[in-house]
Amino acid sequence: MPLLRIDKMSHDFGGLRAVNKYDLKVEPGQIRALIGPNGAGKTTIFNLITGIYKPTEGDIYLENKRINGLEPHRIAEMGIGRTFQNLQLWRHMTVLEHVKMACYSKITYGLIGAFFGTPKRQREEANIEAKAHDLLKIVGIDHISDQVVINLPYGDQRRVEMARALAIEPKILFLDEPTAGMNPEELIQMMEIIRHVHRELGLAIFLIEHRLKMVMELCEIIQTLDFGRVIAEGTPEEIQNDPKVIDAYLGKEVVL
Amino acid sequence: MTYFFQNLVNALQWGSFYALIALGYSMVYGILMLFNFAHGDIFMVGAYIGFGVATGVTALASFGAIALPNWLILVLTIIISMFLTSFVGMLVERLGYRPLREAPRASAAITGLMIGIILETGNLAMLGAKRVRFPSLIKSTTYNIGGVFVTNKKIMIVAVSLMLMLALHQFVRRTKYGMAMRAMAFDYVVVPLMGVSINTIAAMTFAIGSALAAAAGILFGVAYPVLDPYMGIVFGWKAFVAAILGGRGSILGACMAGFLLGFIEIFVAMIFPSTLRDLIAYSIILLILTFRPHGFFGEPYSARLRL
Amino acid sequence: MFMMFKKLRNSFSQVPLLGWLLGALIAVVLEYYLGDALADVLRLPKIPVLFGFVIMLKKPLLIPSVLIFVMLIYALPIGAVARLSAPVTNRLVAWLFKLPMIISVAIHLGFLYAILHLWSDISAYRVLTLKLTMIAIIVTLSLNVINGYMGEFSCSHPGFMALGAYGASVFTVVLFAKDKLFGAAILPAALGPYMFPVALIIGGIFAALGALVIAIPSFRTRGDYLAIISLAFMFIVKSMIENLEIVGGPRGLSSQPDYANLPTVFLWTVACVWIINNFVRSTLGKSLNAVRDDEMAANAMTVNTRQTKIVAFLFSAFWAGVAGGLFAHVLRYVNPGTFGLQKLAEVLAMVYFGGLNSVYGSIVGAVSLSMLSEALRPLEIFKWIIIPLLLILVMIYRPTGLIAFKEFDVKKLIKPKHKQEKEV
Repeated sequence: MPLLRIDKMSHDFGGLRAVNKYDLKVEPGQIRALIGPNGAGKTTIFNLITGIYKPTEGDIYLENKRINGLEPHRIAEMGIGRTFQNLQLWRHMTVLEHVKMACYSKITYGLIGAFFGTPKRQREEANIEAKAHDLLKIVGIDHISDQVVINLPYGDQRRVEMARALAIEPKILFLDEPTAGMNPEELIQMMEIIRHVHRELGLAIFLIEHRLKMVMELCEIIQTLDFGRVIAEGTPEEIQNDPKVIDAYLGKEVVL
Repeated sequence: MTYFFQNLVNALQWGSFYALIALGYSMVYGILMLFNFAHGDIFMVGAYIGFGVATGVTALASFGAIALPNWLILVLTIIISMFLTSFVGMLVERLGYRPLREAPRASAAITGLMIGIILETGNLAMLGAKRVRFPSLIKSTTYNIGGVFVTNKKIMIVAVSLMLMLALHQFVRRTKYGMAMRAMAFDYVVVPLMGVSINTIAAMTFAIGSALAAAAGILFGVAYPVLDPYMGIVFGWKAFVAAILGGRGSILGACMAGFLLGFIEIFVAMIFPSTLRDLIAYSIILLILTFRPHGFFGEPYSARLRL
Repeated sequence: MFMMFKKLRNSFSQVPLLGWLLGALIAVVLEYYLGDALADVLRLPKIPVLFGFVIMLKKPLLIPSVLIFVMLIYALPIGAVARLSAPVTNRLVAWLFKLPMIISVAIHLGFLYAILHLWSDISAYRVLTLKLTMIAIIVTLSLNVINGYMGEFSCSHPGFMALGAYGASVFTVVLFAKDKLFGAAILPAALGPYMFPVALIIGGIFAALGALVIAIPSFRTRGDYLAIISLAFMFIVKSMIENLEIVGGPRGLSSQPDYANLPTVFLWTVACVWIINNFVRSTLGKSLNAVRDDEMAANAMTVNTRQTKIVAFLFSAFWAGVAGGLFAHVLRYVNPGTFGLQKLAEVLAMVYFGGLNSVYGSIVGAVSLSMLSEALRPLEIFKWIIIPLLLILVMIYRPTGLIAFKEFDVKKLIKPKHKQEKEV
């Protein structure tokens, strides 16, 4: 059974068809990528899967359960984690608080625990905090866990986003341009973190990226999107040599 | 039926006040993205300045033995007071809001509230608690149009209000600065990059809004001659509601909403006992906002009071 | 000169909270037994009620006397006792620290209550001021939950207070008081004080139900539009009460029994601070911050933002209702006029002055503005120029308030203090 299955999903914004009969099958533990020129509809597809929009047509199945139409927080709870293209962090909260926050759905101490500080709440909060520290260690920023994120350098902020998304315990992690704005050194570090996370936690990863070198090295299957339609799908070797892909990128800036 | 038209006339007058004051709120809100909670008190200040100017001009005329017709005194009062009050508005902007341009908008809102309190207290301190009577400049004549009694005062108030609104509309549509204001309502950041100073636009917005509020204050003084320092509070908040109802950045919306609020209040009082007036009026507004959260003409721009 | 100040500050940094409380207690005891005599000697008309502010403003000639009084009764004893007892209190606090936290907290609170009780025993005016200040703390904290922690601009709190005030009052007056609106008491008077908490909770629940009117539209609107809806709500509540002749209409409701004594108000204030602090420090409570700072991200991280908003509004309204109930029973009279624009300006001022997103900030804001408002009373209307000016200054130089975003950590408060390490 595929982890995530999308059947002929289409989405319209008014008169514009942004996504056109999109299909997807992700197996557990797979690393896949979605590439394509700017404006092709990649982030829109992410937003459709994570529930920010409801698709005009088509269905999305997570472990054979239909998720299109559900509230975004429900979809996240069911195991879909994501990071954002333009870092959407919580300006006034610390690194640790970001990661702890993503454990919201696992909290069982309820309002009684929150208001009265019951032993159950103290235990659960301690567990959440320990788990958060572990995740921060995985992405390598545990030493700054008490810093307010607005003060951090960009590379660290990206790692916070990653750790935060991982705290959901996702079955599949959606990364929207995780290396945007990074220099070559940070890029290598981020690739290593992604590999490390994939090895340690065994989750599936779905990447939107413009850096084709990174995509070719990390991913098993790549989809190419242009004007909302998939124009090519296959292994890195197949995609590299596909004339349709080269055509779509012709004249557009390609970052290798 | 005549009862209905009678109230219609009242509603037009009442709505004119709300509309003129709401315009000031709406302009500041649309162009500078902030609420000037001192605006209601600027309406009060305008009324008092009007009182001062009218008394002063009358005194000067009698001193110099010049026979000035009353209507001329009124016109002079309106013009001079609008001019003077616009300076009050610009001063408020310069001292209270400019230092807070980068600050969270809630802080600016609180500052506005405080400035309003200072204006009220200042008035109380300077003039005492005794209420002040606006000089009677228009002899009240009542016309009987098909059974409906309309005073010349009411006609004048509505006419002057509409004239001012039209003037504003022309200014915003036809002049360079009006265009800059409209541009800023869409994109706050870009306008200074095009060579227009935010300080200038801000000052101008406040000046125009305050002038309109002053006009409303004087017209109010003509209709209801007893002034008191706290007259701006209730008017201010209701006009604020009207400005939001009209939608962010929409001048037409503010006018319409101001008149609508006037209509709601008058007609609710017509049908229900007057104690229920506020209750029903605000419930209606609550309902409108629940189903149309962005007001009549507002864009779904998410204007958050960002911390 | 600066060095001396620094040395002084260093030496006082060793004093634990208990030391300061002990000092304050001694000061208050001194005033209780020696205050009248000292006032006579200094030719003061009576013991200065609010640390002498009122006397200093009314009769400037007495300023030296007042200053001496304050020095002899407050400044010197507090400073001396606190500093000199530091070794002892530090050891005591360190020992208490090893026991379950509740014991240490209870002892500190006991000291605090003793101080407040003795201080206010001198005059009824002090008692009233203290009670109203504590109620202000509750309101400010409750408003901070919405305006600070969740980053909205809500104008509805006077409405919540009104609902709570009337809810609690109707309960106590109907059941326990003989009153012209409702007739004779239904239950025996002795039962009254024990049912008072129930009355307050009913008031709070009443207010929370009212909050649903705001919470539900808040799903669709944010920011400015929510401000209007909350404002409309406030006017509606006020107008509704004015039209309900059954609770006295615009003339108000009186004959509330005298249940809101100092210990009661104190305990409810402590409970409020404790519960709200617990809430905002929990991960569940931090969801308010997440919704404020980025709602979309919050949703993507499994936070049920709708639930968060409802909880925040109802919780906040509940405490505002409790404050309203206490207020009604302190004054033993309530009328709808109290809960209008003036009250709104007061509560907004306290929250934004003290500091957003901070329990410390709310306590500081409520206490300072309440005390200032009382202390400046002799200035009459000029009070309303000074206080707004002060607020404007704070807004310009510290836009989020005096003490914003600072966490209230009880553990840190009751810890023993050590000498500051010399900086290399």
